Amino acid sequence: MAETRKVRIGYGARLEEVEVQVPDGEPAIWDAATRLDVVGTAVPRLDGPAKVTGRAKYTYDVTLPGMLFGKILRSPHPHARIVTIDTSKAARLAGVKAVITFETPEFFAAVESEDSGRPVDEAAKAEPPAGKRRVLFAGEEVAAVAATTQEIAEDALHLIEVKYEPLPHVVDLDEGRKPGAPRVFPQHDNTLKAEVREQGDVEAGFKQADQVVEGTYRTPVALHNALEPHGAVARWEGKTLTVWASTQGVFGFRDDLAKFFKIPPADVRVITEYLGGGFGAKFGAGVVGATAALLARRAQAPVKLMLDRHEENLATGNRPSSVQWIKVGAKRDGTLTAIHLKSYGSGGIAGGAGVSGPIWMTYACPNLRSEEQDVLLNTGFAMPFRAPGFPQGSFALESALDELADRLGLDPLDLRRKNYIERPAKPLMEQYALAAKAIGWERRQAPPAQGAARASGKPLRGLGMGTAVWPVYGGPPTEATVKIHTDGAVECICGTQDIGTGTRTAMAIVTAEVLGLKPEQVRVTLGDTGTGMYSPASGGSVTLNSILPAVRAAAEGARQKYLKSVAPALGAKPEDLDLHGGRVVAKDGGKSLAFAQGASRLKTAVIAAQASRAENYKDRAAELVGAQFAEVEVDPETGRVRVLKVTAAHECGRVINRLAAESQVNGGVIMGLSYALLERRVIDSPTGNVLNANLEDYKVAGTLEMPEIVPILVEVYDPANSIGVKGLGEPPVVPTAAAIANAVSNALGVRMTELPLTPDRILAALAGTKEA
Amino acid sequence: MEQSKGKKRKRRGHGLTRRAFLKGIGVGGGALGAGLLAAEAPRREGAAAGAPGTLGPGPVQVNLKINGQPRSLRIEPRVTLLDALRDRLDLTGAKKICDRGECGGCAVLLDGKPVYACMLLAVDARGRSITTIEGIAPKGDLHPLQEAFVARDALQCGFCTPGFVVASKALLDETPQPSLDQVRQALCGHICRCGTYPRIFEAVLAAAGRPVKAGRTT
Repeated sequence: MAETRKVRIGYGARLEEVEVQVPDGEPAIWDAATRLDVVGTAVPRLDGPAKVTGRAKYTYDVTLPGMLFGKILRSPHPHARIVTIDTSKAARLAGVKAVITFETPEFFAAVESEDSGRPVDEAAKAEPPAGKRRVLFAGEEVAAVAATTQEIAEDALHLIEVKYEPLPHVVDLDEGRKPGAPRVFPQHDNTLKAEVREQGDVEAGFKQADQVVEGTYRTPVALHNALEPHGAVARWEGKTLTVWASTQGVFGFRDDLAKFFKIPPADVRVITEYLGGGFGAKFGAGVVGATAALLARRAQAPVKLMLDRHEENLATGNRPSSVQWIKVGAKRDGTLTAIHLKSYGSGGIAGGAGVSGPIWMTYACPNLRSEEQDVLLNTGFAMPFRAPGFPQGSFALESALDELADRLGLDPLDLRRKNYIERPAKPLMEQYALAAKAIGWERRQAPPAQGAARASGKPLRGLGMGTAVWPVYGGPPTEATVKIHTDGAVECICGTQDIGTGTRTAMAIVTAEVLGLKPEQVRVTLGDTGTGMYSPASGGSVTLNSILPAVRAAAEGARQKYLKSVAPALGAKPEDLDLHGGRVVAKDGGKSLAFAQGASRLKTAVIAAQASRAENYKDRAAELVGAQFAEVEVDPETGRVRVLKVTAAHECGRVINRLAAESQVNGGVIMGLSYALLERRVIDSPTGNVLNANLEDYKVAGTLEMPEIVPILVEVYDPANSIGVKGLGEPPVVPTAAAIANAVSNALGVRMTELPLTPDRILAALAGTKEA
Repeated sequence: MEQSKGKKRKRRGHGLTRRAFLKGIGVGGGALGAGLLAAEAPRREGAAAGAPGTLGPGPVQVNLKINGQPRSLRIEPRVTLLDALRDRLDLTGAKKICDRGECGGCAVLLDGKPVYACMLLAVDARGRSITTIEGIAPKGDLHPLQEAFVARDALQCGFCTPGFVVASKALLDETPQPSLDQVRQALCGHICRCGTYPRIFEAVLAAAGRPVKAGRTT
């Protein structure tokens, strides 16, 4: 069932030939020797015109006849028992069509799926029914209404009377770990069992070291804040359910609802034609999806339920906090001998706070040990957030390495190079060189002596860097269909969603490449489980490397059928024909026909080819790497950090659309900059409420914070699929905060150990005092 | 009546509701502020409950001029211009993201000046000329600014894009040859979570016919 093929892998001039085992029936692999016409060029997004004119209809924009508006009532208490809920006044309000309460924990258990974040709360389920439901965080769902207008729905929430019995709560990470702290779940401590992983012997490693650094690094809880909030528009027709959903996984959303309502998945259709971002917080139907559908069923009318910004910041996911103690040992020449990481953090009532990925993947080190603990608190739950765990882990690791380099008197970049892990087709050395050159790394100076920076009173400049690493995920199952109509129209169909990365355009690019057309000649259908063309959720940098091989296989199938139908008209055999430049041409340079003319000879109204994605080829494309360098200026009077420039060298395997790929690199850098300088959720301990649940007080980077950003793409050929695309979503956000923090530490001569790098912390560092 | 760009932004009076609370958007925000202040005048006059001329609380007839067309709707006076556009007129290009004047996703032009439609009641837009993203270019066509946004990939998920286009249009109408710094200032009341700002700067400068270095943002 497999055959051996030779492929050329590598990058730039560093190419080599290797053998790969590929499943039977794979098309010719696009490797380093392949020249392509459309793939890899800069293609403006096909949906650009719809987006710039406001015509693009997102879930939030869907309006159906007779549609009602849903709203959710949320607990103001971080921990309480619900004694009574009286919805009678709300139900009597003119215009209110349905009221539901979430009185049983089973509701939440029922809407839970593997990837929708909220815990399956076995502990809560086990509580006696007479105990009434507990709410576990401020912002947890208590009741919901559907009404004829948004305004009436809001009025109705005010009429619901809930009597709470407040219970002791804990929202502070260090408080939550103390013995005797209020427990989130009565059956066990808030601090969960440590996950321990070890390789070699770290104690022996530290004994071999000439230099050892250790430090404790802290990162805040960050919030996704995709601009389109979570939400859905649900419509029942008999026993079938159609849902327009703001989700990064239409199939997962569908399956959750099918499970919740105990109906076959085929009776649920989920549509996401346009999606206003997700960043990891929009997997699964969750409470929002289930509630929209439940309200619609109760009201017997379509219901639109979109969360507001406040709710987005309370109950739709977060990047957990972390406290990381890290110890790194090295020989005099910089060779690492041991890394030991002990961390804890909290995503709230659920969600892993692990951060050890970077220490296990980034640098060569024989002795490694990580011990990671999740702490439960009475706050909203975690969801994967763009490279889950990696920006946090990268901050601690890269900071420790810079400190190590300074102590050893080594260039921080040389220290990284010294501990390079060699792999075939790994472009990291090239990326280091390109990004370092673009920033002018040779200008980096040793940090000033403590106190010297502050004394000068002048703006301080600094340079820093970090390495990105992320595993390559993605693979089957994924299905796609390509159709050619007799008028020459071409369709490419896959159920997948375009989270904003340009998936729609990428599908057209690959189809156009195979059929010798331009991308704009391909009509793409996506974001619809009704297509039946399964694809995974868009998360973990898997979308293009999962779907494009299926798209290509379908396009190759359609191509073969087309050539077979057209061949007689050209008096040639199908295998002697080629599709190129919008024409079907004889390879010997003889006759040719325009593509549409050829299509008019088809014997059926349409030809269609459906294909499934093959398994990944073994031993290829294991990881994504990148390097980022930052230059900052710090005002020692105000403590303000300005990032002047970031150079970001990344790879995504084969580049599909250069424009979109560069945009994604920019976007990762900007999100990382925002995390480094501005973002943190603030919770008031006495009340357990989020104080900055809006976009004014939860700061995200805007136009004024923008540095010069130089995205650099190194095209890498290391195909684990017929296209050689690997992914790009996560890596650009991984090292940015670390690179900026290192640049700031380089400027100040003081190691910055806590994100975000706010002016108060800068001033405290310069003054040599402990942070407030 | 309109305050011109660059002048000191007027500060709000107190005792106003959240709906009326105003956020400026940098230099361009001066104009935004002025537009809103002017629009509020009728409401303040009839602010006392039951006073002659008071609207509501029940639905009232509101006539608006949107993208050059008269539009008539019956809504409660508390309905914002944004909700009126989106929920009653199916003009969904302006996006509801923060609903409190923090993100710029709902920007529309009021007599040519950019305002946050979430911060303005629909009744207060009576007698004003409202241009939404749908009215920036004739139907089926693209404004040169929109063409530049597409060509430069100045959008990713696209949810913030209508607001950026509207605000950029207002900037170029007043300042046809802006500097990069003027572009940053004019758009600083807008948030893009995908991180498309560098390409937005490029698009606006390109549409203004100013040289832009590809991949470079300063």
